[in-house]
Amino acid sequence: MFSFRPLRPFTRNLVPPQRLSFVDLLQKRCVGTSSKLPKDPPKQSLEPQRPQRNVIGTFTPASAALFIVVGVGLFWYFQNEKANLLKQREQERMSKAYGRPHVGGPFSLLNCSGSPQRFTHEELVGKWSLVYFGFTNCPDICPAELDKVTAVVNELGKSNPGLPIQPVFISVDPARDSPSIIRAYLSDFHPSFIGLVGNYQETKSVCKAYRVYFSTPPDADPKGDYLVDHSIFVYLMDPEGRFVEAFGQVTEKDEMAKKIKEFVVEWSK
Amino acid sequence: MWPFSSPKASNTSTREDRQRCWDARDQYFACLDRAAVVKPGDEKPSRACGSEGKSYEESCAKSWIEYFNQRRVIGEAQKDRLAQADTQARNAKQ
Repeated sequence: MFSFRPLRPFTRNLVPPQRLSFVDLLQKRCVGTSSKLPKDPPKQSLEPQRPQRNVIGTFTPASAALFIVVGVGLFWYFQNEKANLLKQREQERMSKAYGRPHVGGPFSLLNCSGSPQRFTHEELVGKWSLVYFGFTNCPDICPAELDKVTAVVNELGKSNPGLPIQPVFISVDPARDSPSIIRAYLSDFHPSFIGLVGNYQETKSVCKAYRVYFSTPPDADPKGDYLVDHSIFVYLMDPEGRFVEAFGQVTEKDEMAKKIKEFVVEWSK
Repeated sequence: MWPFSSPKASNTSTREDRQRCWDARDQYFACLDRAAVVKPGDEKPSRACGSEGKSYEESCAKSWIEYFNQRRVIGEAQKDRLAQADTQARNAKQ
């Protein structure tokens, strides 16, 4: 190849190849050369076809490779970041730092289980509480729910020994449920169950704080045989006395125990 | 109060009382199922399930009896609707 080259183009090799712009290209083609290169002899046809570097410009194989590598790198980086962000959002949703429903609040009731005689919302502090609203004359739902809470407390006693957890039963039938009746009723369930009752006003007030519906009228007959319609939820309160979650009838004891364990872990962070 | 207290569980509600009531109820309802009667009380003309019915009424408080009876009737009606919903769901999945 080189044997055909005349002397003049040899000098051309000494000059570093210029990066030509598009404008330069136009000029070179149309007008002749005004570039910094030495004047080419008309014997350009004898010259070996040089690679079209001036046409490709900056787009060399090396830069193409770099482009691809950087592109792939950025793609992986953003995938990673997106996954991390999703994980973070999931965690935030679990911890419920905002958007907590306004369930719970101050209340004051008589403690059927002994001491302290007066049980207020402050007694919820320092322990995880499972609060259930019901009445002793309940055909089947309240016993089933209280059995469920008993099983959950037992399960947590095994899996999280030392976890301060107190199940609380609040009566929505103050006319008939006296402290002794409630004590007798709760003896069928977990021994740590705390029974609470108040007069009609106190009952109404605690139900309002917990958004509990109950149908007992203010003038209910203490000797009457009636059933009380009421919302059926087990309310989980955290050691700061704040509402965490309401478990409905459909939530089985295993799921309830599992969720409580998750909340405990979340809260401890 | 004690001379007049009947054996049925009125306000006292221990686990045994409840269980007794539930068992009596289950026996009575099973008898009604055999007699193909949904609404408790409809079997009275044919004198079926007499003894079970009596034991049921003695073991359970009146409010409970009303409650269980109502639930039985509603449950029957719901069974049809639930079965329909079930078949609909299964068809939709296909």
